[in-house]
Amino acid sequence: MSFQFDIGSRARNAGRFIGRVRNELLRALSEKKKDGKLSQQALAKKLDVHRSLINRQLSGEANLTLRSLADLAWAMDMEIWFELKKPAAHPGQNEPVITSTLGYGEIKYVNVAVRRERVARGASSGEIVKSIE
Amino acid sequence: MSTIEELVLNGAISRIEVEMTKRDQPLRLLYGTPDFIEWLATLTSGAEPKTRLGQATAAEQIDQLFYSYLSGMPLIHIRQFRCIRAERNAVWELKTPDTRIFGWFMKKDCFVCVFGNWADEIKEYDLYRGYRIAIRRLRRQLGVDDNLCVQGVNPFDVLSV
Repeated sequence: MSFQFDIGSRARNAGRFIGRVRNELLRALSEKKKDGKLSQQALAKKLDVHRSLINRQLSGEANLTLRSLADLAWAMDMEIWFELKKPAAHPGQNEPVITSTLGYGEIKYVNVAVRRERVARGASSGEIVKSIE
Repeated sequence: MSTIEELVLNGAISRIEVEMTKRDQPLRLLYGTPDFIEWLATLTSGAEPKTRLGQATAAEQIDQLFYSYLSGMPLIHIRQFRCIRAERNAVWELKTPDTRIFGWFMKKDCFVCVFGNWADEIKEYDLYRGYRIAIRRLRRQLGVDDNLCVQGVNPFDVLSV
Protein backbone atom coordinates (compact mmCIF):
# COMPACT_ATOMS: atom_id res chain seq x y z
CA MET A 1 0.00 0.00 0.00
CA SER A 2 1.30 3.46 -0.76
CA PHE A 3 0.34 7.06 -0.09
CA GLN A 4 0.87 9.74 -2.71
CA PHE A 5 1.58 13.12 -1.13
CA ASP A 6 0.14 15.38 -3.80
CA ILE A 7 -0.08 19.14 -3.27
CA GLY A 8 -0.82 20.10 -6.88
CA SER A 9 1.58 21.16 -9.60
CA ARG A 10 1.50 24.90 -8.85
CA ALA A 11 2.37 24.50 -5.16
CA ARG A 12 4.90 21.79 -6.02
CA ASN A 13 6.65 24.05 -8.48
CA ALA A 14 6.83 26.93 -5.98
CA GLY A 15 8.01 24.84 -3.03
CA ARG A 16 10.68 23.00 -4.97
CA PHE A 17 12.00 26.21 -6.53
CA ILE A 18 12.27 27.94 -3.14
CA GLY A 19 13.96 24.87 -1.70
CA ARG A 20 16.39 24.60 -4.58
CA VAL A 21 17.51 28.22 -4.22
CA ARG A 22 18.11 27.74 -0.50
CA ASN A 23 19.98 24.47 -1.00
CA GLU A 24 22.18 26.08 -3.61
CA LEU A 25 23.11 28.87 -1.19
CA LEU A 26 23.87 26.36 1.55
CA ARG A 27 25.95 24.27 -0.82
CA ALA A 28 27.98 27.28 -1.95
CA LEU A 29 28.59 28.46 1.59
CA SER A 30 29.47 24.95 2.72
CA GLU A 31 32.11 24.72 -0.02
CA LYS A 32 33.55 28.10 0.92
CA LYS A 33 33.70 27.03 4.55
CA LYS A 34 35.43 23.80 3.63
CA ASP A 35 38.09 25.75 1.74
CA GLY A 36 38.48 27.96 4.79
CA LYS A 37 37.63 30.99 2.69
CA LEU A 38 34.41 32.23 4.28
CA SER A 39 32.40 31.63 7.43
CA GLN A 40 28.82 32.63 8.15
CA GLN A 41 30.19 35.27 10.52
CA ALA A 42 32.47 36.69 7.82
CA LEU A 43 29.58 36.69 5.37
CA ALA A 44 27.47 38.71 7.81
CA LYS A 45 30.33 41.14 8.39
CA LYS A 46 30.86 41.63 4.67
CA LEU A 47 27.16 42.41 4.19
CA ASP A 48 27.02 44.50 7.36
CA VAL A 49 24.09 42.56 8.80
CA HIS A 50 23.68 40.48 11.94
CA ARG A 51 24.80 36.85 11.72
CA SER A 52 21.37 35.67 12.86
CA LEU A 53 19.78 37.20 9.75
CA ILE A 54 22.14 35.23 7.50
CA ASN A 55 21.42 32.11 9.50
CA ARG A 56 17.65 32.59 9.22
CA GLN A 57 17.87 33.31 5.49
CA LEU A 58 19.91 30.17 4.90
CA SER A 59 17.67 28.00 7.06
CA GLY A 60 14.58 29.31 5.27
CA GLU A 61 13.21 31.05 8.36
CA ALA A 62 13.55 34.52 6.84
CA ASN A 63 12.43 35.58 3.41
CA LEU A 64 14.94 35.92 0.62
CA THR A 65 14.37 38.76 -1.80
CA LEU A 66 16.11 38.97 -5.15
CA ARG A 67 18.24 41.74 -3.62
CA SER A 68 19.29 39.64 -0.62
CA LEU A 69 20.00 36.68 -2.90
CA ALA A 70 22.21 38.85 -5.08
CA ASP A 71 23.96 40.25 -1.98
CA LEU A 72 24.67 36.78 -0.62
CA ALA A 73 26.09 35.67 -3.96
CA TRP A 74 28.25 38.80 -4.11
CA ALA A 75 29.54 38.23 -0.59
CA MET A 76 30.49 34.65 -1.50
CA ASP A 77 32.13 35.86 -4.69
CA MET A 78 29.75 33.72 -6.72
CA GLU A 79 27.78 34.39 -9.87
CA ILE A 80 24.04 33.67 -10.10
CA TRP A 81 22.99 31.82 -13.21
CA PHE A 82 19.25 31.90 -13.90
CA GLU A 83 17.46 30.26 -16.77
CA LEU A 84 13.89 29.33 -17.66
CA LYS A 85 13.53 26.27 -19.85
CA LYS A 86 10.96 23.70 -20.81
CA PRO A 87 10.74 20.75 -18.42
CA ALA A 88 12.52 17.56 -19.48
CA ALA A 89 9.99 15.61 -21.52
CA HIS A 90 11.63 12.22 -21.45
CA PRO A 91 12.70 9.90 -18.67
CA GLY A 92 16.40 10.13 -18.11
CA GLN A 93 18.93 10.43 -15.41
CA ASN A 94 18.40 12.22 -12.11
CA GLU A 95 20.07 15.57 -11.77
CA PRO A 96 23.76 14.89 -11.16
CA VAL A 97 24.85 15.36 -7.59
CA ILE A 98 27.54 17.97 -7.22
CA THR A 99 28.09 17.91 -3.49
CA SER A 100 28.06 15.52 -0.61
CA THR A 101 25.61 15.02 2.22
CA LEU A 102 28.49 15.53 4.64
CA GLY A 103 28.45 19.29 4.29
CA TYR A 104 28.99 19.91 7.97
CA GLY A 105 31.41 17.08 8.70
CA GLU A 106 31.05 14.18 11.06
CA ILE A 107 29.17 14.29 14.34
CA LYS A 108 31.17 15.28 17.39
CA TYR A 109 30.53 13.01 20.34
CA VAL A 110 30.05 14.72 23.66
CA ASN A 111 30.45 13.00 26.97
CA VAL A 112 27.16 14.12 28.51
CA ALA A 113 27.92 12.77 31.98
CA VAL A 114 31.22 14.67 32.25
CA ARG A 115 29.62 17.80 30.85
CA ARG A 116 26.79 17.71 33.39
CA GLU A 117 29.20 17.22 36.25
CA ARG A 118 31.39 20.14 35.15
CA VAL A 119 28.38 22.39 34.60
CA ALA A 120 27.16 21.53 38.11
CA ARG A 121 30.57 22.54 39.46
CA GLY A 122 30.34 25.84 37.57
CA ALA A 123 33.25 25.26 35.19
CA SER A 124 33.59 27.56 32.16
CA SER A 125 32.58 26.27 28.73
CA GLY A 126 36.24 26.21 27.64
CA GLU A 127 37.16 24.00 30.57
CA ILE A 128 34.22 21.71 29.90
CA VAL A 129 35.20 21.17 26.25
CA LYS A 130 38.82 20.58 27.26
CA SER A 131 37.86 18.00 29.87
CA ILE A 132 35.66 16.11 27.38
CA GLU A 133 38.38 16.05 24.75
CA MET B 1 12.01 -10.37 13.79
CA SER B 2 9.93 -8.33 11.31
CA THR B 3 10.70 -7.61 7.69
CA ILE B 4 9.78 -4.47 5.77
CA GLU B 5 7.36 -6.52 3.68
CA GLU B 6 5.58 -7.81 6.80
CA LEU B 7 5.31 -4.30 8.25
CA VAL B 8 3.73 -3.08 5.02
CA LEU B 9 1.41 -6.08 4.71
CA ASN B 10 0.06 -5.74 8.24
CA GLY B 11 -0.51 -2.00 7.75
CA ALA B 12 2.07 -0.82 10.30
CA ILE B 13 3.75 1.32 7.64
CA SER B 14 2.91 2.45 4.11
CA ARG B 15 5.14 3.66 1.34
CA ILE B 16 5.09 7.45 0.81
CA GLU B 17 5.61 8.86 -2.66
CA VAL B 18 5.64 12.31 -4.22
CA GLU B 19 5.29 13.36 -7.83
CA MET B 20 8.67 13.16 -9.49
CA THR B 21 9.68 14.96 -12.65
CA LYS B 22 9.94 12.83 -15.79
CA ARG B 23 13.70 12.95 -15.51
CA ASP B 24 13.84 11.53 -11.98
CA GLN B 25 13.89 7.99 -10.69
CA PRO B 26 13.29 7.39 -6.99
CA LEU B 27 16.65 6.53 -5.45
CA ARG B 28 15.59 6.27 -1.81
CA LEU B 29 12.64 4.80 0.09
CA LEU B 30 10.21 6.53 2.41
CA TYR B 31 7.58 4.97 4.66
CA GLY B 32 5.12 6.34 7.18
CA THR B 33 2.93 5.05 9.99
CA PRO B 34 -0.87 5.48 9.65
CA ASP B 35 -0.83 8.36 12.17
CA PHE B 36 1.89 10.15 10.27
CA ILE B 37 0.01 9.78 7.00
CA GLU B 38 -3.04 11.25 8.71
CA TRP B 39 -0.89 14.25 9.68
CA LEU B 40 0.30 14.57 6.07
CA ALA B 41 -3.33 14.66 4.96
CA THR B 42 -3.96 17.65 7.26
CA LEU B 43 -1.17 19.48 5.42
CA THR B 44 -2.73 18.90 2.04
CA SER B 45 -5.96 20.30 3.53
CA GLY B 46 -4.06 23.52 4.28
CA ALA B 47 -2.93 23.16 7.92
CA GLU B 48 -0.33 25.76 8.87
CA PRO B 49 1.61 26.63 12.04
CA LYS B 50 0.52 29.62 14.14
CA THR B 51 3.36 31.69 12.72
CA ARG B 52 4.93 30.52 9.50
CA LEU B 53 8.61 31.32 9.04
CA GLY B 54 9.28 29.86 5.60
CA GLN B 55 8.29 31.44 2.30
CA ALA B 56 6.77 28.14 1.19
CA THR B 57 3.65 26.69 2.84
CA ALA B 58 4.08 23.78 5.23
CA ALA B 59 2.86 21.34 2.56
CA GLU B 60 5.28 22.79 0.00
CA GLN B 61 8.15 22.49 2.45
CA ILE B 62 7.38 18.83 3.09
CA ASP B 63 6.97 18.09 -0.62
CA GLN B 64 10.33 19.70 -1.32
CA LEU B 65 12.02 17.74 1.46
CA PHE B 66 10.51 14.42 0.33
CA TYR B 67 11.36 15.16 -3.28
CA SER B 68 15.00 15.95 -2.42
CA TYR B 69 15.22 12.81 -0.31
CA LEU B 70 13.53 10.46 -2.78
CA SER B 71 15.36 11.72 -5.85
CA GLY B 72 18.68 11.09 -4.13
CA MET B 73 19.77 14.68 -3.70
CA PRO B 74 22.24 15.43 -0.93
CA LEU B 75 20.53 16.55 2.26
CA ILE B 76 22.38 18.99 4.45
CA HIS B 77 23.30 17.50 7.77
CA ILE B 78 21.97 19.43 10.80
CA ARG B 79 20.01 21.83 8.58
CA GLN B 80 17.81 19.15 7.00
CA PHE B 81 18.38 16.01 9.03
CA ARG B 82 20.11 14.92 12.21
CA CYS B 83 19.92 12.22 14.85
CA ILE B 84 18.21 13.26 18.07
CA ARG B 85 20.77 11.56 20.24
CA ALA B 86 23.96 9.71 19.32
CA GLU B 87 22.98 6.24 20.50
CA ARG B 88 22.45 2.72 19.20
CA ASN B 89 19.33 2.52 16.98
CA ALA B 90 19.06 6.29 16.99
CA VAL B 91 15.92 8.27 16.27
CA TRP B 92 16.35 10.75 13.43
CA GLU B 93 14.74 14.05 12.60
CA LEU B 94 14.00 15.48 9.15
CA LYS B 95 13.62 19.25 9.12
CA THR B 96 12.03 22.05 7.13
CA PRO B 97 11.81 25.67 8.33
CA ASP B 98 8.38 25.12 9.92
CA THR B 99 8.04 21.37 10.41
CA ARG B 100 9.85 18.48 11.99
CA ILE B 101 9.50 14.77 11.21
CA PHE B 102 10.71 12.06 13.58
CA GLY B 103 11.41 8.45 12.71
CA TRP B 104 14.23 6.05 12.05
CA PHE B 105 16.23 4.57 9.20
CA MET B 106 15.42 0.89 8.68
CA LYS B 107 18.27 0.65 6.19
CA LYS B 108 20.52 3.17 4.51
CA ASP B 109 18.30 5.42 2.36
CA CYS B 110 15.14 3.88 3.83
CA PHE B 111 13.36 6.11 6.38
CA VAL B 112 10.17 5.56 8.36
CA CYS B 113 8.26 8.70 9.38
CA VAL B 114 6.45 8.29 12.70
CA PHE B 115 5.62 11.78 13.99
CA GLY B 116 5.20 15.11 12.25
CA ASN B 117 4.65 18.41 14.02
CA TRP B 118 5.29 22.16 13.86
CA ALA B 119 8.83 23.18 14.70
CA ASP B 120 7.73 25.99 17.04
CA GLU B 121 5.48 23.65 19.03
CA ILE B 122 8.24 21.08 19.42
CA LYS B 123 10.68 23.71 20.65
CA GLU B 124 8.15 25.39 22.93
CA TYR B 125 7.13 22.19 24.70
CA ASP B 126 10.49 20.40 24.26
CA LEU B 127 8.93 17.31 22.71
CA TYR B 128 12.17 15.72 21.51
CA ARG B 129 12.55 13.31 24.43
CA GLY B 130 8.90 12.25 24.26
CA TYR B 131 9.07 11.50 20.54
CA ARG B 132 12.33 9.61 20.96
CA ILE B 133 10.88 7.40 23.68
CA ALA B 134 7.62 6.86 21.77
CA ILE B 135 9.50 5.75 18.65
CA ARG B 136 11.64 3.32 20.62
CA ARG B 137 8.46 1.89 22.17
CA LEU B 138 6.78 1.60 18.76
CA ARG B 139 9.74 -0.30 17.35
CA ARG B 140 9.57 -2.75 20.23
CA GLN B 141 5.83 -3.24 19.65
CA LEU B 142 6.43 -3.87 15.95
CA GLY B 143 9.19 -6.35 16.64
CA VAL B 144 11.73 -4.17 14.89
CA ASP B 145 15.20 -5.00 16.12
CA ASP B 146 18.73 -4.44 14.91
CA ASN B 147 18.03 -5.97 11.50
CA LEU B 148 15.70 -3.06 10.63
CA CYS B 149 17.57 -0.25 12.31
CA VAL B 150 20.67 1.57 11.13
CA GLN B 151 23.21 1.42 13.94
CA GLY B 152 25.47 4.31 13.04
CA VAL B 153 24.81 7.95 13.82
CA ASN B 154 26.93 9.61 11.18
CA PRO B 155 25.22 11.15 8.15
CA PHE B 156 26.86 8.72 5.73
CA ASP B 157 25.51 5.78 7.76
CA VAL B 158 21.95 6.68 6.81
CA LEU B 159 22.18 8.49 3.47
CA SER B 160 24.21 7.73 0.39
CA VAL B 161 25.90 10.54 -1.54
